[in-house]
Formats: sequence, structure tokens, C-alpha cells
Amino acid sequence: MFSKVLVANRGEIAVRINQTLQAMGISPIAIYSDPDAGAPHVATAEQSVALPGSAPEDTYLNIPMIVQAARDSGADAIHPGYGFLSENPAFARACREAQIAFIGPSPESMEALGDKLRSKDIALSAGVPVVPSSPECFPGDAVAQEFAERSGFPLLVKAAAGGGGRGMRVVRQQQDLDGAIESASRESQAAFGDGRVFLERFVANPRHVEVQVLADGSGHTTHLGERECSIQRRHQKIIEETPSPALTPDLRERMGEAAVAVARAAGYVNVGTAEFLLEPHTGEFYFLEMNARLQVEHPVTEVVLGLDMVEWQVRIANGERLTLRQENVEPRGHAIECRIYAEDPYHDFVPSTGTLLRWRPPSGPGLRVDSGFAEGQEVSIHYDPMLAKLTAWAPTRELSLRRMEVALSQFQVLGVITNIPLLRAVVKHPQFQAGEYDTGFLEWNLAVTRPVVSDETRTMARALSAWASGQPSGPNTLAPPNGNDRRASATPWQSAGGVRLP
Amino acid sequence: MTSGVGEMREVYPLEGEAYRYRTADEGGRFTFAPEGEQSGGSTANLSLIIRSRENGEGISRDESGRTHPFAWAWVGAELHLWLDGDLFVFQRADPSALSAAEGSGRRRGGTGTDAIGDVRAPMPGAVLEVLVREGDRVEHNQTVVVMESMKMELVITAPRHGVVRRVSVQPGQQVERGMRLLELAPEDDADK
Repeated sequence: MFSKVLVANRGEIAVRINQTLQAMGISPIAIYSDPDAGAPHVATAEQSVALPGSAPEDTYLNIPMIVQAARDSGADAIHPGYGFLSENPAFARACREAQIAFIGPSPESMEALGDKLRSKDIALSAGVPVVPSSPECFPGDAVAQEFAERSGFPLLVKAAAGGGGRGMRVVRQQQDLDGAIESASRESQAAFGDGRVFLERFVANPRHVEVQVLADGSGHTTHLGERECSIQRRHQKIIEETPSPALTPDLRERMGEAAVAVARAAGYVNVGTAEFLLEPHTGEFYFLEMNARLQVEHPVTEVVLGLDMVEWQVRIANGERLTLRQENVEPRGHAIECRIYAEDPYHDFVPSTGTLLRWRPPSGPGLRVDSGFAEGQEVSIHYDPMLAKLTAWAPTRELSLRRMEVALSQFQVLGVITNIPLLRAVVKHPQFQAGEYDTGFLEWNLAVTRPVVSDETRTMARALSAWASGQPSGPNTLAPPNGNDRRASATPWQSAGGVRLP
Repeated sequence: MTSGVGEMREVYPLEGEAYRYRTADEGGRFTFAPEGEQSGGSTANLSLIIRSRENGEGISRDESGRTHPFAWAWVGAELHLWLDGDLFVFQRADPSALSAAEGSGRRRGGTGTDAIGDVRAPMPGAVLEVLVREGDRVEHNQTVVVMESMKMELVITAPRHGVVRRVSVQPGQQVERGMRLLELAPEDDADK
């Protein structure tokens, strides 16, 4: 087994990987950018290497420097986490050349599957249906024009290298097509270093259901059930659950088999996720893409199966055989995950930056928190605005939703705006509770993206703010940026000092 | 007994009108008495027993015995209050507090505009494209600037019809939250 593993990532996922490595008796090595010097992913590692700079290109995306850091620190393997270099074949190749094990699939299958255009061909060859799409296209070219005429509007522009909603645009009319192709291509170039885009038929309000796959190096491939990921904003998931309320046992089995077939056709080794669009009324499903990495939402699968996927990733990368058999994959109960983002759910989900003056995640029966932040830490513009993942488990869906609702209402964050009130509103929504929702949920239920505060709560908030105004500022107070003491601007009639009335 | 009057304004989750109140603190009982019109809040007095700690957290108990955990922190001139899972942001309704908040470009949605007609950056990032020039006529919701922040493209749209009076940024420029991107004038002001 490896003795030292470098985790080429930051935030909650690096912390989570560090924990499994430590439990396996492996020393985690962290890398960190300048603003991350005091971050939890450094604190939870046994060793750390500084990568000077703050921009991702200079730090967490800097292949030569990360490989050098692994060499210098004596790591025998690298875990890439998700995002950053996790699906970058050049990185996996650089690790191979440096004779450092890469904990993930081979660069070859990454290349084949990470490319949305090629992965569609693989799926078709395995007999798995895909959403109709165009070959690579450019603004104003005949390929784009022909496809647009055939499929009509709306349609999707997608980046071949895209993921997490980046490099994706919905186009509703002809005149916006070229602009969307250009902007998606530019965004993908900036985020992934690959500006290729294509067009895809727009499936109106499908459900987004994905299947977790686990494959060892000796040809044994199994799936770990599905995750329902239809609650999305900006094409990015914010709530995931398993089992999906939309699947019948028969559909579950067929989608599981399809996922395994795609993984086999690609010669896939390690953990991966097959994403599908599901048309809820017909029960028809289409393969979308295979994510050749650990997913953000993997905890819900871990929780219902009682296994550690990162541990399996490490064992498989170490050449071990999968001892888990398909017939032994038996989910227990129900799990739901909410992604806590530093963003304003009431103003177009604009990311919010600042200092976490208060950061108190909840705890309790059936709860799991994957957090990469600590109180006092800065939420900066440099990185993804996801602060944490909150997962609730219970024997039934009804109970795990209740646990989630309570946990969200206890999650205390001050200093940045978060999407917690929106997550609560969704979890409490009758349609969500009935399991009847699709990817259009937030568009159809605009009410959840508007603040709802009762008069009673508002008055209580006003009273407490009036009271707090009169208190000495606590240790978690951030001075005004211009250096003015807020007290200096206080007018005499404020209650701060207490004005005695006759 | 300590008592006083105050005037505050909610800026999050809703931008509200200023409201006035009286407070009294006697024998560990805090009384909040709304005065005059109260948009979006009740007008009844609230009597609370508040226990707090120095780290900015507390528990408030109302007369019916219902308890509410809360926490607060000052972010510049703004008071951030967490109450039962919701975040509120308040400002003191005195002119110096208001102008400080304006400089920080208070969230006003993706368009980030203020009353003067400035289109401001809703968050820090880099300007990718400026799609209008000085003197251009713009439509409501027309894309005027594209920014990149947190690896996402952010499309800044015109909050209303008008004429671009001044463009304050260039592509490639780093901007802070609240920084002016461009200045809009009402259409009939175009010649001034």
C-alpha cells in the first residue's frame, strides 16, 4: 500500500480525502496557494507544500509544480479530488511519467470519456441511447446551422470538455446562437483549456439521474446505484438524493446495466459516474456523459451503502481487486445532500465573498458535514463558492428530508450570504416532498427564490438587531474597510450608548 | 433602566424602508416598541429575555416562552443577524452609514445599479468585455458588460433604457465589488 499520498486539491474534498487516507494509515500531503495557507485542508494533512500565487493556473492547475511537489515530498500517489486537474489526461500522464500512481482512471479512458463528443460514440457502441447532437461546431458555420435547423430551438451549446455547468448555454432563438457558441467556447477555454463546443437537442425538463460505477483493474465492474440530481441552478446541482423517487426497480436495473456497459466499453478503471437524462413520463433515458472522477455528491451513496469510496479508489489504484459483488450492493434507507454555496439565492445566485465571521455547521443523528472552511477564513473570488455539503440519512425519505430541514435551520453562517434559505424552501416544498420534480424545478417554482419572512420573524429580527446595536462589538466583528469606527458615526439618538429619556 | 430610540433599515433579504423604534432594557427584559409605520413588520411591542455571550451568539425568549437562537456580527457598517436559519442585514438609518454602504456596492441584484444610474460590479472579478460605448443607447436588460468571477461568466445587463454617459472600465481590468462599470443617463438627458 502507498505510504504517502499527495492530494492535489483544496476545500472540502481535500479534507475528506485526507481523512480517509489517515484512517488507512497513509500520510496525506497537502498543497496550498497563498490565500489557503491556513485552510482546513492544510491543517488536516500531515505534510504540506506551498504553491506560490493565488490564481488557479499558478497553483492547483500547475501540473509541473504539483508533480515536483509530489516528488520532493516523497509521495507514491496523487489523488486529484474533483474539479481542477481531476479529469485532465495530461496530468494523469505526467504522474505516470514521474512514476507516481494516479488515483483515478487511465489518461486514455479519461481522454475518451472526458470528451463529451467521444463518450457519446462509446455509449452508442455499447448499445446505450444518447441525446442527439452535432459534431464540433464554430460560430456561423454550416455544422451549427444544419443542426439548428434540424433540431429547432431551444437547443444547447455544450463544451466538449465542459462540466459543472461551465461552457454550457441554452439558446432560445437563432440570433443568439453565434454569441452563445462564442461565449461557451471562451468560458470552456478559460476553465478547461479546451474551447471545442457542439450543439445538443434540448430535452425539456428531464430528470437528471446518475449511476455510480466502480471498476477494478482485473475487469470487474459494478454499479453502486443511482443519485437523483434534478435540483439545479445554472445547470449546477444543489441537492442530490438516493434512491431517486423517480425510479422503479426495473428502471433502476436497466440504468445500472447501461452504466456498467459504458464503463466496460471504455475499459474504465476506478470510480466513475454515468449521467443520464430521464424523461419522467415515458421512463426513457439517455446517456449524457461519464464523469471520470469522484463526484461532489458521492456522500449520499456512501451513506446508504456504508462504504468509503475514496478508500476503494485508493485500493483500486494500488492494484487490489474489487471484493464487492453486484448482488451485495444493497442500499439501506435514504440520503439527501445539500450544497451550501456562498451565493445570494434571491439575486440571480451571485456569489458572495467575505470573511466567515461565524461558521457553525449542525450535527446530530444521521448528519454528515463535508466542510472545507473554518471560522475566520476568507471566502475569496479565486475559487468555487461551495462552502460545504450537508448530508442527512434516515431509514425513510420522509425522515431524512425532515432531518435535513432541521439541520439547515441550525446551520449558522455570518459574513457571507449563503443559499441555505433556498435549500430549506426546496426541501419543504410539497412537490419536492412528493418526489415529483425535474431540472426545471427552480424555474417553475420561482417562489422559492424569493425571500419569505413572516411579520413575526421580521419583527423579532428587528428587535434583536436593535438590541445588538447596543452591545459592544464581539470578537467576530469586521471593521469597515475604510477604517472608520462605526461608533464614530453613531448619532446621539441611537440606543447604542443608551440615551436616557425623561 | 436603559432606554432609547433608533432608526434602522433592512437591506437583506429585502431592501426595506427605514423604520423607527423605541427600546427599553430593564431587569434583564428588553422591550422593542415599533413606532409609526412599519413596512413588513408587525407594530406590536415585543418583550424579550435575551441571554448572550461575548462570542456574538445568544438566545432570546419571548413572552410565550418560545426561544430563538441568534447570532450577530458587524460587517463594516452593516449588522448581520442570523435568526432561526435566516440571515438579515440591517443598516443604521443615519446618513454616514448609508453612504458607507453605497460605496461597498450593496447587493441590488445581478445588475448592480444604484439610483444615480451607475452600473456597478455585483462582485469582484475581471472585466472580459465591454459591449457598449459612450453615447450608445441601451435597452432594458441589454447586456452591457461581461465579467468573470469565480470561474463563471457574469453577464451585467442594463437596468433600464438609457444612454451610456461614461464607461469606467476596460476589458482585462480587475474590479472590486461595488466599483462603477458604467454610468447611464436617462434617454432625455442624452444631450446634457
